[in-house]
Amino acid sequence: MTHSLHREGTLDSLERDYALFIYPARGFNYEGSGPKVRRLAELLYLQGPSNLIVTSLRRNLYSGVTQEEVLNSIQDGARVYCAFNNREKLREALVKIKETNEGISVVVSGLIDRVQEIAAEIGLNPHTINLSLGIHGCTDRLPPPDIRQFTTMCGHGMVSPGLVRDVIRKIKKGDIDFWQGSLILAGPCTCGIYNPHRSEELLKDLAPLYTFNRL
Amino acid sequence: MLIRKDICVGCGRCHPYCPTDAIRYEDLKGSVDQEVCYECGSCLRAKICPVEAIEESPHVYDYPRALRKYFSDPNATHALTGIQGRGTEESKTNDVTNRCGPNEVGIAIEVGRPTVGMDLKNIQKITRALARAGIHEIEPNNPIISMIQDLKTGDLKTELMGERVLSAIIEIQVKRERLAHVLRTLKEVAREVDSVFCLDVYTQLEPGLKIPSEVLEAIESEGFSWRPNAKINLGLGRAWERKIL
Repeated sequence: MTHSLHREGTLDSLERDYALFIYPARGFNYEGSGPKVRRLAELLYLQGPSNLIVTSLRRNLYSGVTQEEVLNSIQDGARVYCAFNNREKLREALVKIKETNEGISVVVSGLIDRVQEIAAEIGLNPHTINLSLGIHGCTDRLPPPDIRQFTTMCGHGMVSPGLVRDVIRKIKKGDIDFWQGSLILAGPCTCGIYNPHRSEELLKDLAPLYTFNRL
Repeated sequence: MLIRKDICVGCGRCHPYCPTDAIRYEDLKGSVDQEVCYECGSCLRAKICPVEAIEESPHVYDYPRALRKYFSDPNATHALTGIQGRGTEESKTNDVTNRCGPNEVGIAIEVGRPTVGMDLKNIQKITRALARAGIHEIEPNNPIISMIQDLKTGDLKTELMGERVLSAIIEIQVKRERLAHVLRTLKEVAREVDSVFCLDVYTQLEPGLKIPSEVLEAIESEGFSWRPNAKINLGLGRAWERKIL
């Protein structure tokens, strides 16, 4: 599943990056979860997520799939993964989810302090935390940290370092703009939590630092 | 994955999509290095090939190569767990399942991630080190369990040696007082691992999103630190299928 707790970047950048998951539990609330998950997905759409998929369809917000197609694909056991680029949008989504009280597990991945604030503001009692203790072993084989800010936004490592460099090259050549580049990078992420709004900001910061060979 | 040489026009559009640089160029055509390819399917899903020369290999579901697919393609449903992806529900449904109880911690060691990939021998290095240290509490529902020949020694099935996957997760659950021991073991074996691994720890919270001091002290005592971002189960789930005895 997603690797969202290992997302890398500066605190300032992570302030605008939250992943949210709706997750029925096998053997506990899986049967009959479809309509409940659908109602929660409808609420998430209303808050303007930066990205969203349901596991029954695996097509992200920018793939051309319609909201109706996504919602109609939801059956028992389907999960919803989405990303928000804004604390307030996340907060509003959680207020609505709490009110709806569907009894399905909801997980938020983001800065601990911010999630703690939101939980206190709206009266949630978080149950479990999953802490990242970082990367170990032959870390010299990793792509550089600036590239990892992009690649770690895809939970399964499907956004390749080569694609990030290729997008930067295309932007610098004037073939595409920052937003188009972000959508290209969001494409391989089938877990739907690649945040193209954050990616656009990162590309604007990073592109001037790279040179490219026109040949 | 395969690139059909009789169709490929050598445009190179697929090349940047491969997370592990398995796409090569020979005679102005693309080809996939079968040793390096993890069968993640990213090149095919990208639908970037103008002549549809990219195909799934006919041998992708042959054992043990099928493990590449199960552990590397996020859309593949693992035959053992019935879950898409490499892990289990872990902390994500813990508010409903209470799989990790109040005095326990879950530890996940994801070998090969991010993006580096690995030979399964590296999983064995870790499972053997854990077994030598007396740590045998590997999650029974994780796909890794089907690879292990002997839980007492941590040996993997011999036919898996040399097989490669993009990443695989070793999940352990122990009493909180054993966390430091597990982390110490992992710190030592990290020197032997010929790849990278992401490490995470999950635990139930105290009221107000307070992380139990016992857990934080164990992490710090072994020289580890935790990132400022984390995955947090908000406690909104409840069970309705479980029979009350």
